[in-house]
Amino acid sequence: MHMHKFEKIWLAFGIGALVVFLTTVGVSAFYLGNKPPSCLTTINVDKVDQTKPFDKPGLHKVEGKDWDYELVYVASAFSYNPVKVEVPLGAKVKVIATTKDVVHGFEVAGTNINMMLEPGYVSEYTTTFDKAGEYLIVCNEYCGAGHHLMSSMIEVKK
Amino acid sequence: MAKAELKTNNKTEIEDSSSLKGTLASVFLLGAFIVVTWVSVYYLFVDRF
Repeated sequence: MHMHKFEKIWLAFGIGALVVFLTTVGVSAFYLGNKPPSCLTTINVDKVDQTKPFDKPGLHKVEGKDWDYELVYVASAFSYNPVKVEVPLGAKVKVIATTKDVVHGFEVAGTNINMMLEPGYVSEYTTTFDKAGEYLIVCNEYCGAGHHLMSSMIEVKK
Repeated sequence: MAKAELKTNNKTEIEDSSSLKGTLASVFLLGAFIVVTWVSVYYLFVDRF
């Protein structure tokens, strides 16, 4: 089959780009261990307040794990518990969150922490808080009349 | 007597449609756009925590 020289060039470029993009995604998933926030950990919606760790929302120091702190959030219409949290700068934190009623969003504005909270499921994201500042948490899944009032704050402090 | 004129010096120009230079340029313009946007979004992802 005859192929123009230019066609060969842009086909090679296209296939090369595809290989680079897919390798990045593959390394991220299989080597760095990145995964979707909700990995099928389930919870009884009616007993969120009695179920560990959601019986004590907030920041907790943990020992013997890959991360230093666990930051637990319970979302419900139309608020987050806790409302304000201070996190030490440089701490490796596992954010664990769920909802008591409907689907809520959990977006820490200006960071990669952005999860959907679904009733009956636990969402989690592990990261190192390496930039000081105040970070606003907002709900980005429309959840009802008070959706726009849902917010919380994380303060990363030295 | 009228004479049918035959214009012999009128050459029909045939465009060379086998040239793919413009296509190559537009393919790489689009390719560069995609690569630049992808890399900048990836940088944002890596830079944030």
